[in-house]
Amino acid sequence: MSGRFRSFSFVDRITRREGGRVEGHFGVPLGAHFPASLMAEAVGQLAAWSAMAQLDFAHRPVAGLANAVHYHALPQPGCTLQLQADIERCDAEAVAYSGKAFVDGRLALELQDSVGPMLPMDEFDDPHALRADFHTLLGAGAAPGRFGGVPEPVLQDLQAVPGERLSAVLQVPEAAPYFEDHFPRRPVFPGTLLMDALATLSLQLAQQSAPLAAAGPLVTQKVSQVKIRSFTAPGAQLQLEVVLQDIDAQRARLKVSARNDDKTVATARIEITPRGAA
Amino acid sequence: MSEQAISQAEIDAVFPKVAQIVSDALGCELDEVTPKASLIQDLDAESIDFLDLVFRLEKGFGVKIPRGKIVEDARGPLPEAEFESKGIVTEAGLARLRDFLSEVPADRIKTPLKASEVPRLFTTETFCKVVIRAQRAAQG
Repeated sequence: MSGRFRSFSFVDRITRREGGRVEGHFGVPLGAHFPASLMAEAVGQLAAWSAMAQLDFAHRPVAGLANAVHYHALPQPGCTLQLQADIERCDAEAVAYSGKAFVDGRLALELQDSVGPMLPMDEFDDPHALRADFHTLLGAGAAPGRFGGVPEPVLQDLQAVPGERLSAVLQVPEAAPYFEDHFPRRPVFPGTLLMDALATLSLQLAQQSAPLAAAGPLVTQKVSQVKIRSFTAPGAQLQLEVVLQDIDAQRARLKVSARNDDKTVATARIEITPRGAA
Repeated sequence: MSEQAISQAEIDAVFPKVAQIVSDALGCELDEVTPKASLIQDLDAESIDFLDLVFRLEKGFGVKIPRGKIVEDARGPLPEAEFESKGIVTEAGLARLRDFLSEVPADRIKTPLKASEVPRLFTTETFCKVVIRAQRAAQG
């Protein structure tokens, strides 16, 4: 069975589309690995559906920028994410939007000032199939539970200077179900999974660094100044590095980056806090 | 396109904030962001950085910078067919660019210059002028 519209699709139904506001929901399946960064993916996909429809599926946003992503709660298996996005502007060059995800009426994630550069749809997917999928989402909705999870990031060759920096090689798989959906005509390693790998590394460094090392379980509270600068193809080996900027008992701030040989693929800032302090 | 000349005083007035925004968008040191620095050649900017930069300038200065406007303005009154031929900027196009991008050292504007590479010429000062023109447009 093709993974298209299932293996990396995080909107089950679009419930409202009015002016620049679009709302929908997604059920996080039981037993599927769903990292917190995929809540941001779900909000981004909701905005993308609305933006693509506005441009009659001639263009689609791919990766891009986010000024800030605030994490307020971790998504639990079986929960339903209520999604909303407010599209500030949308044209053939870019879509700019902000959005939120709620669980049981409580704010779980906030995405501020995100910008997705628009690229020709033909390169990534079949416009007709996407248009049909969009109508499914507007109508009865897609079958819930179709997402089967994503693998944990494969981080190798970890080299740490505790209290200072941690680097690793991220082995992007040659093949993975999500490449069938992201995207059917041109597989691209999702930026949100890259951010998840960088957050995983940031948590490891914070856990090894005083005084947060003694603070118990840590969580990612905020990812800001996110910039995905280029596409990552299947099989790539990315050099990840997270560098502590400052740290105290309440918080660690890190500057993170991913490189593919000499080219910077992505940069961001990450803030880590003790669980419960966020 | 007739245009009231932009004075050095106007550029000096917006430069510090433009430089800070360029530094934030590109993640480079503020002291690297000189007026004559080419964003692509000297500061390693890529197309995504220009998108980021334009959004930040719009927010920072409360102006609207229409998409594609910078390249369109650079071409000025010349029809596309006179500005470029087979993707290469013509002599008339180069003359227009030397005039419009007066902040760019003239030796950077030389043939053969691909039309798609015109943004490689843009400097911090180019973006100061973009902001000033947007401010003027907003004032009508």
